[in-house]
Amino acid sequence: MKTNTSNPSLIAEGNSETTADTAQLISNDDASTSNYGQLNNHANFHDFDDDDLHGSHGVRRRQPLQKIEPGSMNVLSAKYESLDYDTCENHLLLDEERKRGYPFVVWKDIARWFIILLIGVITALIAFIIDICIEQFSNIKYKELKKSVDKYVLMDKLYIPYLLWVLSNICIVLIGSVLVAFVEPVAAGSGIPQVKCYLNGVKVPRVVRIKTLLVKAVGVITAVVGGLAGGKEGPMIHSGAVVAAGISQGKSTTFNKDFKIFQYFREDHEKRDFVSAGAAAGVSAAFGAPIGGVLFSLEEGTSFWNQALTWRTFFGTVVSTFTLNVVLSAYHGHPGELSYPGLLNLGKMEPFPFQFYELPVFILFGAIGGLLGALWNYINYRLAVFRIRYITAPYLRVIEACLVAAASATCGFLMMFLLNDCRPLGEDPTKVPLQLYCADGEYNSMAAIWFQTPEASVRSFLHDPIGSYQPWSMLLFVACYFLLSTWTFGLAVSSGLFIPNLLTGAAWGRLLAIAMQDMIPYCTINPAKYALIGAAAQLGGVVRMTISLTVIIIETTGQISNALPIIITLVVAKWTGDFFNEGIYDIHIQLAAVPLLPWEPPPLTHNIYASEVMSHPVFTLRTVENVGHIVELLKVVSYNGFPVVDPPLADETEVTTYKRLRGLILRSQLIVLLQNKLYNENANTAWSNFNVNMNMFRKEYPRYTSIDKLEISEWEKTCTIDLRPYMNPSPYTLPHRASLPRLFRLFRALGLRHLPIVNDVNEVVGMVTRKDIARYRVWRHRGHMGMEELLLSSEI
Amino acid sequence: MIVLHRFLHTLLIVIVSNGLEAEKHDDSLINVYIEKDYKLVLPEQCSALLDVFAETVSNFTLCSIKYARPIRLCEKCVKHYVEFQTNYLKLENTIVNNTSCLSFFISQDRLNAFQEYYNNIITIWDKGHCSDCFDWSANVPKIKNSTMVFNNMFSNTINCITNNMNPLQNDTQEICLNCMQSYVALDDFYKSLSKDSIGVDSICMDIVDSMNTTRSIWSKTLHCCDIRKTPELIFLCCTGIIALLPLLFYVTVRYCRPIRDLPNVLKESRFKQSILRSVQGRIN
Repeated sequence: MKTNTSNPSLIAEGNSETTADTAQLISNDDASTSNYGQLNNHANFHDFDDDDLHGSHGVRRRQPLQKIEPGSMNVLSAKYESLDYDTCENHLLLDEERKRGYPFVVWKDIARWFIILLIGVITALIAFIIDICIEQFSNIKYKELKKSVDKYVLMDKLYIPYLLWVLSNICIVLIGSVLVAFVEPVAAGSGIPQVKCYLNGVKVPRVVRIKTLLVKAVGVITAVVGGLAGGKEGPMIHSGAVVAAGISQGKSTTFNKDFKIFQYFREDHEKRDFVSAGAAAGVSAAFGAPIGGVLFSLEEGTSFWNQALTWRTFFGTVVSTFTLNVVLSAYHGHPGELSYPGLLNLGKMEPFPFQFYELPVFILFGAIGGLLGALWNYINYRLAVFRIRYITAPYLRVIEACLVAAASATCGFLMMFLLNDCRPLGEDPTKVPLQLYCADGEYNSMAAIWFQTPEASVRSFLHDPIGSYQPWSMLLFVACYFLLSTWTFGLAVSSGLFIPNLLTGAAWGRLLAIAMQDMIPYCTINPAKYALIGAAAQLGGVVRMTISLTVIIIETTGQISNALPIIITLVVAKWTGDFFNEGIYDIHIQLAAVPLLPWEPPPLTHNIYASEVMSHPVFTLRTVENVGHIVELLKVVSYNGFPVVDPPLADETEVTTYKRLRGLILRSQLIVLLQNKLYNENANTAWSNFNVNMNMFRKEYPRYTSIDKLEISEWEKTCTIDLRPYMNPSPYTLPHRASLPRLFRLFRALGLRHLPIVNDVNEVVGMVTRKDIARYRVWRHRGHMGMEELLLSSEI
Repeated sequence: MIVLHRFLHTLLIVIVSNGLEAEKHDDSLINVYIEKDYKLVLPEQCSALLDVFAETVSNFTLCSIKYARPIRLCEKCVKHYVEFQTNYLKLENTIVNNTSCLSFFISQDRLNAFQEYYNNIITIWDKGHCSDCFDWSANVPKIKNSTMVFNNMFSNTINCITNNMNPLQNDTQEICLNCMQSYVALDDFYKSLSKDSIGVDSICMDIVDSMNTTRSIWSKTLHCCDIRKTPELIFLCCTGIIALLPLLFYVTVRYCRPIRDLPNVLKESRFKQSILRSVQGRIN
């Protein structure tokens, strides 16, 4: 750990050319062992313009615009950072391993299991609280409204209960949307896209904070009670993720409270693992689907099959459903009965027998679901673009949410006013039967659907007998709810899209079942079967999830024998939908310009080499670096990883060359080093080994001070830091001739953040980050596909 | 007689070969079978009780079918139901040779007819919440006060309707007007009987059915509760205005937004460009 290679001239040199040196580009081709540069120099020079338009190798590239219209999909934001999933094997880590030994490994393992247990329990408790609040408040609201309707319908003053409904909706939604729009905008929507990005390795700012959780919880209660066409399932998944991130860290930065526990989990790697378990626990609490939860975190998040993590995740999901089961059954007065496994309970379905000749029917349902899903996504996409462009101010977003709440009430009230679809009382479990214009002893079936939470409506559509609803009112309901739900998703309220889509799907599934029954009267058609298939198809067409959605639906209905019809439907729905556009989550991720890495590298890209993908002039640091230079560099550039290189030989200062890679150091590490003033006045003095250990870095995690806030006095800038004990001495590297798929797979599988590109003699020639790879994006539309190179912007 | 003996013999073998449980359980039975003639397999006491019980079952069944429509089942058949239950208990509590009489009849075979009929009656009785019509505190079930009140009001209403019915006239407005009071009283009383004011899950079926019939006559035959009188113009206007608001909002936002600067594209630094730049620099 001695600074023996440095010589006195280094300091002076570093001072004289503060920023330029390490970042300077080379101009001589000799330095590069890459023959690519030499070979292509001439050609590139001539068709420079042409090349910039089309990109390389037929990759579609937009006009090199200087400005971007907000709301376009072909942009990546430069603001998103990646997570450091790769462990930094520096001296400190080795020290720690040596000191603590195997007992520490065992202890950490036990702690992991314990944390997973806590995550499961707390996620379930949050789900419980949300569920109870929604149930109670809705009950009060609808009971009061019913009283008012019953009273005023006799006086021919129906506008009074109507305005009351509108007003109550607006007031309730106002609370939630003010919280979301002004306090924590990242809590808007279902949270699944954000969690998906986080699990993919993108650091979405503020997504796993306790404040977000609070806003989310209150937001989802107000959204559902406020009568918006939204569900509480998506937010549950986000809540689970926040709980996991919070508990595993043993501290809260928001409350400025450090419990001094679990310090060893304060790094991106461990945190991301816990978050994936937490998201799974959230799914499991939302749907009562432990296996579906595990598969969800595998499908959406993890980059490789991590056996131990999967097993722990499964434990967490089972704990989560179990806890929810215990508390909900105790709440409903059957303690110990354990019959409330999840928030969404579609009710036990009979195993429906199906025949060979029904398979085409399922395919047809899947196709319809795919078409409707694609339409839903398209409408929502147009709305989202409009919102990005024109509805940016928080107060406008609040107004919009309130208007949608009012419109939802209007829609519901008009439907029950205009359609006199009456049913005798007492045949179905209706909480708030509203008579309106029906005969005595009957109730308005449309009112029954609007005067309950959407989840209960899904259950009615799935389980009620075939003659329960008139086809025309169903048709109108489908149209209304379809539009309302797509309008609602993306507002400044936290609500998900699972339930509204299940509801729409169940409604048109039932409608088709009625139609089939009319066509073939001699067959008895089971409406429950087709309502379920329709619900699956609609949801599948919108979210385009496959594995986890199938398992979730199987688990919520409790029938494994329904797997084949559901799989067929979902596959067809996904294919049909993918023909037109992408899943709703991907659309929103792309609109947010998040550099998400998909599962597979873009096809036909083996001819794109690292030398084209990489950022070229690399900002490097020397193994023993000058403090002033580090501070300058951190201030000037926004990069987060810096290759640490051998210092150039003294006589070569004229000709800048590439330098040999020694390691990789992160911005966060540099900041902690500067903060703790771990530097020497003289580079030659022996390194004074303070009590430096990993905890120094963990203490600051996850919010490091910005470089501008550090106070470094002038004299300190002449000091030097030996970076070698702190840097990662063996970062993953690839040669400059590596192909894009190879880079991609390395990134995707290892969760990398930085990848130095080296030449044949291990000299750093470039740097590849997530954004460099994510900008090659494959597009598919109506059977065509291709690849485009996205633009980067740091202002969105 | 030979045939019977052979039958008993095979029965014995079957029972023995059926394993320990059957053997243990059916010891007493075998004795019964062997000691006496097959026709007299049951202890006399039990068979007498069985006859009485069968009688009560048939009485109740007869009664319940008779009063199925309109439902008066609870009121009319309660006597039979009580007899049926008493006799069942007698069967259960009479013990011969340390075995309850009941055990001769239930779970002895695949058909299990005794149990099926018993369950059937219990199910019908419970499904109709029949016990709710009566006061069970005394030995003999007495009709509850509330039931009596309801029945009185019900007959009042029906009488009123029939009295006012004029077969020559199609106009029912007069009936509605005259019987409104008694009908509303009946309806309100019915609603007060149960917590959820629907009463499906707790009120005895006799009452529910009477009420349903009355309501059906009232609102469907007589059209007394057509309350849609005016077209609710104010309401429709309100919905129209509120439905227009979002549209107005979007249009306003679309055309009256502050002009913002569009985000800039970040200049990426790539190998190719930097080489080019340096080459150009050298040429110049």
